[in-house]
Amino acid sequence: MLYIHIPFCEKKCGYCAFASVAGARELYRPYCTALLEELSRLPRRQLSTLFFGGGTPTSLPTDLLCELLDFIRQHFSFAEEAEVSMEANPGTVSFESLRRLRLAGVNRISFGVQSFDDDELRVLGRIHNAEEAREAVRMARDAGFDNLSLDLMYGLPDQDTQAFDFSLHCALELHPRHISLYQLTPEEGTPLFTALENGRLTLPGEEDIIAMDSLVNRVTAEAGFEHYETSNYALPGYRCRHNIRYWHNEEWFAAGAAAVSYVQGCRERREENPWHYIEKITAGEDAVVERESLDREASFRETVIMGLRMMEGVDLSELQCRFHLEPRQYYGGVLQKLMEQGLVERTPTHLKLSPAGHSFANIVMAELV
Amino acid sequence: MNNIRNFSIIAHIDHGKSTLADRMIQLCDLVSDREFKNQLLDNMEIERERGITIKSQTICLPYTAADGKTYSLNLVDTPGHVDFSYEVSRALSSCEGALLLIDAAQGVEAQTLANLYLAMENDLEIIPVINKIDLPSADPEGVALQVEDDLGLDIDHVQYCSAKTGQGVKEIFEAIVTLLPPPQGSPEAPLQALIFDANYDSFRGTLISVRIINGTVKAGNSIRFMSTGKEYRVEEVGLFKLRRESCKQLSAGQVGYILAGIKTVEDTRPGDTITTVENPAAKALPGFKEVQQVVFSSLYPISTDDYEDLATALEKLKLNDAALTFEKDSSAALGFGFRCGFLGLLHLEVIQERLEREFDISLILTVPSVQYHFFLSNGKEIIVDNPAHFPDPAHIEHIEEPFIKATILMPETYMGAVMTLCLERRGENTNFHYPTPGRIELTVELPLADVIYDFYDKLKSITQGYGSFDYALFDYRRADLVKLDILVNSEIVDALSQLVHRNNARARGLHACEMLKQEIPRQMFKIAIQAAIGGTIVARTTVSALRKDVTAKCYGGDISRKRKLLEKQKAGKKRMKTVGNVDIPQTAFLAVLKSEQ
Ligand SMILES: Nc1nc2c(ncn2[C@@H]2O[C@H](COP(=O)(O)OP(=O)(O)O)[C@@H](O)[C@H]2O)c(=O)[nH]1
Ligand code: SF4
Repeated sequence: MLYIHIPFCEKKCGYCAFASVAGARELYRPYCTALLEELSRLPRRQLSTLFFGGGTPTSLPTDLLCELLDFIRQHFSFAEEAEVSMEANPGTVSFESLRRLRLAGVNRISFGVQSFDDDELRVLGRIHNAEEAREAVRMARDAGFDNLSLDLMYGLPDQDTQAFDFSLHCALELHPRHISLYQLTPEEGTPLFTALENGRLTLPGEEDIIAMDSLVNRVTAEAGFEHYETSNYALPGYRCRHNIRYWHNEEWFAAGAAAVSYVQGCRERREENPWHYIEKITAGEDAVVERESLDREASFRETVIMGLRMMEGVDLSELQCRFHLEPRQYYGGVLQKLMEQGLVERTPTHLKLSPAGHSFANIVMAELV
Repeated sequence: MNNIRNFSIIAHIDHGKSTLADRMIQLCDLVSDREFKNQLLDNMEIERERGITIKSQTICLPYTAADGKTYSLNLVDTPGHVDFSYEVSRALSSCEGALLLIDAAQGVEAQTLANLYLAMENDLEIIPVINKIDLPSADPEGVALQVEDDLGLDIDHVQYCSAKTGQGVKEIFEAIVTLLPPPQGSPEAPLQALIFDANYDSFRGTLISVRIINGTVKAGNSIRFMSTGKEYRVEEVGLFKLRRESCKQLSAGQVGYILAGIKTVEDTRPGDTITTVENPAAKALPGFKEVQQVVFSSLYPISTDDYEDLATALEKLKLNDAALTFEKDSSAALGFGFRCGFLGLLHLEVIQERLEREFDISLILTVPSVQYHFFLSNGKEIIVDNPAHFPDPAHIEHIEEPFIKATILMPETYMGAVMTLCLERRGENTNFHYPTPGRIELTVELPLADVIYDFYDKLKSITQGYGSFDYALFDYRRADLVKLDILVNSEIVDALSQLVHRNNARARGLHACEMLKQEIPRQMFKIAIQAAIGGTIVARTTVSALRKDVTAKCYGGDISRKRKLLEKQKAGKKRMKTVGNVDIPQTAFLAVLKSEQ
């Protein structure tokens, strides 16, 4: 599996803490050249999943994206039924571009829509309105994307349950196969954070958030979606295989600015600044700025907490196989207590969070980390 | 003996004592500039940060005077805080004179007076020194008048200097030589050496600072501490030059040190007299007192694993600080800890800081308490400083609490606010006069318990730093005391119990509840916080239940970061104490000690 980071956007959204820069068009070409260089250094493996994330991958000219895809196909080759995902933003795609990406092998597209309320979109600083989002989805359908996902956020400034209900229904009306629903988390250093700090904006209260949570559960279930990870919902057969590998804490390769890879137990983070990234790669160096290798037990604990994000939980035989450790033995009283508190459950094959445990996932994970 | 002068510098905090001492070291014949180290006398990190000398250091300054003769001027340093006035008085009694240092811009302050009185009690010759004359706001003439009118000192003896620039320092040396009397006493008489300080040296054992009043002491002598009768053999005697410098003997009039292989400073009590075993003095020198701890608090390590380390750390601190006492204590909520006695709240804070900083032990402190005298119906009298030992109220005849006499000096404008504060703190018998126009000296009798709480901080804030404060313990008076308990989800947190006045109990209880509410993070269930006297709830609050704690988004690139956040959350939890099923952070325990706003 391979992750590719495209650190460009048309404009920075007010809540964004992702690695992306706006308006650096002059970097598009050199960045792709550097990416090709970094990719060519990777071992030629067959890929079962490929994921273009960002930033906004579709802010790159389609030619460049297709060039990347062609190279990857040649260098690595795709497994049969490989999942090739791309994140996209309404306002950066056309029927034409989508069609070409589809033909170049992208078979899953994930639109960052966030809301169907134009005022909310403006407050978030998105570059598109609700209608453009609908249009983008229709174009993607027409271009041949069946496996289509929408990202939606809730708990937006001044949002009430009704407003979120509206956005959620708008999203479902577009018949996505997959939905990611995130509660907005204000990140320090973002304009949104500052606006909240000095009271220019306010977030909905806890009661409203809880109501939105239950709305999510009810509405997605009614529409036939399976809740398979903390924030992810899919129709049967449409779970995101790439992301699931993260939650299973499996290996992946990566290329690009800010991209993180995890190969042979070593996690490597690359230079976030695209200028520096290009310089380093061009100079023949790697762009890694941080390396982390956990010992067996730490890696086991990390695998447990990541796995608990999955609704089905962590596979005990997998753990046994990979780490030769058994959670109940390993954690002893700590886990026992969490089970007694009704936060963690054990099935014959899995260890998982209870519904209550999911509400307090961080508390549980902080015990197990 | 005629060319020895023993003196101290006494001053209100910040009036420039350390600076003047530095300047004197620099300007005498002791050091070349290259060797000169700033703030030489004040070498402990914490004290420097707080600007307070707790452990004094003494130095012998050689000086060639205008008369052509060379003198040994022993500068005996004194601690500079009200908590340590006994130590100050012992240091002063080893001198013949003192420089009373006064800031030319600030004038006389409460500690100036307090120290002056101490110096007078010890019959010292006083040289008033007006410092900081280089400041534009300096008013040396005005301050000199204060010295004459309020302090009754001889204006002709007043010295003017700037410790900063060095101006006037030579003149101070001359004044010391000409105005201060040389020491008296007989080198042939039986030994009487006054202990005024003790420091622990891990190689040589306790370094005893002494003033030889009578007699002579040298290596090989067998000596006896007159208060305890303990005997030791002298290994070395010497003088406090820039470094310790051993010498053949110390005799009457001299200030120096004795090393006698003593393992703890506990045996060397400031104020005690050392004599020789062969030819003992008939009488000990007057003025010796056992140090008295007035504030008590229990110290618990946050992590129970640190208990042994805490024990070791306290032992180590005790080596150098005879005034610190500690004994084992235990709490249902906090496990094992130590009940410690301190000279005052500042002493407590210094110990707490050193434990946390030098020994890296995170602590929880219980509410500091004074010692109460309980008179029981069976005729017994017991002393209680720990709420855990509060007797059954049915058996209490009456209770007495310690009172202090406080002296507060401040500009007139703050009088109203300070009076209000004193009355709030149950002040009695207030008295005041005007030492100079515009300034008030207020004396007031206050219950010590209400002073240790936050009186000094309050005073400083309401007088915007212009109020100064000094106190002495002087009486025990009847008190109507109750034990206030704090309950968290119906469980008593014994470490939060406190002894309070019945009239204040409700307010204290409310305050404690409010502070806990602010500091205890929300948990998965509702937390009830209550304050109770006996079985009666007097205040309550609740911390509402946390509804949700989830990280919405976590993909490949975030795994490390999110894991680290969780590790941090875990570490944070480790720093909490779990009582029942409620996690209480260290900050909550500390917040309860803080004042109400
Ligand atoms: N301008 C001026 N400042 C001084 C003088 N003497 C001391 N200071 C300053 O007053 C402050 C307190 O001095 P310090 O010696 O630490 O006072 P202590 O608390 O009495 O030991 C410091 O900031 C010194 O630099 C002086 O003669 N002139
Ligand atoms: S589109 Fe996504 S990555 Fe780009 S600025 Fe907005 S939130 Fe950030």
